[in-house]
Amino acid sequence: MSVMAAIRTNGLTKRYRGGLLGTDVTAVDGLDLVVEEGEVFGFLGPNGAGKSTTIDVLLDYARPTAGTAEVLGHDAQAESTAVSERVGVLPEGYGLYDRLTGRRNLEFAIDWRGADDDPDRLLDRVGLDVDDAARPVGDYSKGMTQRVALAMALVGDPDLLVLDEPSSGLDPNGIRLLREIVREQAAQGTTVFFSSHVLSQVEAVCDRVGILRDGELVAEDTVEGLREAAGASSTLELTMAEPPAADLVGGEGVSEVEVRENRLRVTCTDSRAKARVVADLVDRGHDLVDVGSESASLEELFAVYTGERPDEGDAGADERTRDAEVVA
Amino acid sequence: MTWPQVARKDFEDAVRSKMVWGIIAVFVGFVGFVLLVAIGTTDTSDATGDAALSLTANFGQLFVPLVALIAGYLAIVGERRSGSLRVLLSYPHSRRDVVVGKLVGRSAVIATTLAVGSAASMLLVALLVDAPSLGNAAGLLASFVLFGAGFTGLAVGISAGVRTRGKAMALAIGSLLVFLFVWDAAAAGVHATVTGSLPGLRVEPWYFLLKRLSPFGAFRALADGFVQGQVSPFVRMGLEQLPKGTTPEQLALPNRVAGPLPFYLSDWFAVLTLAAWGLVPGVVGYLRFRRSDL
Repeated sequence: MSVMAAIRTNGLTKRYRGGLLGTDVTAVDGLDLVVEEGEVFGFLGPNGAGKSTTIDVLLDYARPTAGTAEVLGHDAQAESTAVSERVGVLPEGYGLYDRLTGRRNLEFAIDWRGADDDPDRLLDRVGLDVDDAARPVGDYSKGMTQRVALAMALVGDPDLLVLDEPSSGLDPNGIRLLREIVREQAAQGTTVFFSSHVLSQVEAVCDRVGILRDGELVAEDTVEGLREAAGASSTLELTMAEPPAADLVGGEGVSEVEVRENRLRVTCTDSRAKARVVADLVDRGHDLVDVGSESASLEELFAVYTGERPDEGDAGADERTRDAEVVA
Repeated sequence: MTWPQVARKDFEDAVRSKMVWGIIAVFVGFVGFVLLVAIGTTDTSDATGDAALSLTANFGQLFVPLVALIAGYLAIVGERRSGSLRVLLSYPHSRRDVVVGKLVGRSAVIATTLAVGSAASMLLVALLVDAPSLGNAAGLLASFVLFGAGFTGLAVGISAGVRTRGKAMALAIGSLLVFLFVWDAAAAGVHATVTGSLPGLRVEPWYFLLKRLSPFGAFRALADGFVQGQVSPFVRMGLEQLPKGTTPEQLALPNRVAGPLPFYLSDWFAVLTLAAWGLVPGVVGYLRFRRSDL
């Protein structure tokens, strides 16, 4: 018997009709994806790449134009209720019942799944305190709502967790908690399918990643491979007291140096090179006014994987992932 | 089969929304107001409980469908837009469970509301005017509940079949307008086309069947049995050519058709008609909902 995949799609295509005057949009185009049981799979791509459409098809919210999707060995369309018995979902664009309390929403989820979870234990796990859980969800912040929704996804200890942009709305504490939960679940053997448009979120918890762009899978890699690729184009921006010379910095791991007035823009192939460059300059007595660092944007990552140049002036240069986000 | 769970959630959510209590308050309040006006303008010694019941029936004729449509038109499309349908469907509920559960849940909400509202109204009648016959009061209450369930089914069916709130609202209002202004006129039109003349005092029985296929017609047919005189249509087009000075007695159904009443003009057929309005739009809505993307 072959190992059953948690998720398997074959030539999955979803096209949305544009209506009378609009043009058809192909959200997902011939996607072949395999997520093995027990792994934490990061589904990475910019907004609009087709991540949520793929998830919509897996959960039978949308019907494929062509191709097939299987979840835990069940056809996603024909056997959708069998799928939902074993899959916990934090969908994109979800809503809870605003008039009911957070706790009541969770109790309904427990009832619906026919589980015997203790709501207090689940609330504690997602870090929502008892007083907040007793208030109607309509009064919640996005982060609190997200915690309840996450608790609802964990009900009944599902075999597969599908988390669509789970960190949106969460503060740094919430994000740390989310990572802990994903790791705990994975340790128990739960397969986790984690979609995000933020590289660092995926990098922090996943074993393997698939990168989606314009509805197509452009790359699949281990997270170590991704980290190398990401390191391959991180940049360091140094502001000096005096206009520097271009040959001021260099050495291993530095691929390009650019001078703009009294600023140095250093592109590194290895992110560890950044610390060395700064330490070198300080050791040699140069006066550093400011140090900024950016890791690769998704667009630059695509360039690394596909060998294309990122479009200048397009998303590539502007949407660089801020280091703050990486730290968070 | 998880629809009972969906229905239960829906009922609890509706009770919590205070919508139920608002509807009951408006119903009772309005009946009380109408009664007070009626008492103020007529000689109280003539007022009877059964006449007041008739007043309630006439008022309920517009109130009940309005309330049922308002309570039901967002049942599914509202959850679709807010995203809670995505959560609901991520548990082992099929789309059929969702439609059936919503249909049952909202019908329960409407039935409870109307039962409490009309019971309170009739208590008001008993206190302000005179106790109506218990049988008539119970019969009218049951007619209201059936009438409400028919429109709830229509509303939930609309809600399942469309993708936006705006479309659901347009269809709900549109259907109400058709029933109020178009249906009876269309029935008269069919009569004119088939027989060459507008309906008069003596008419073919199938003409009444056409009118009774509308939920309004079916409700009036049922309610007529429990009130004094007839529950009159809300809008009269004057398309029936009745001689001047026609008495209410002459308008009674058995006096307008020749021979014994056919089965389709019996009360139980009207009950079936309302039940069909409760179910058929739900089925049509489900068939559309089943195929569509969220």
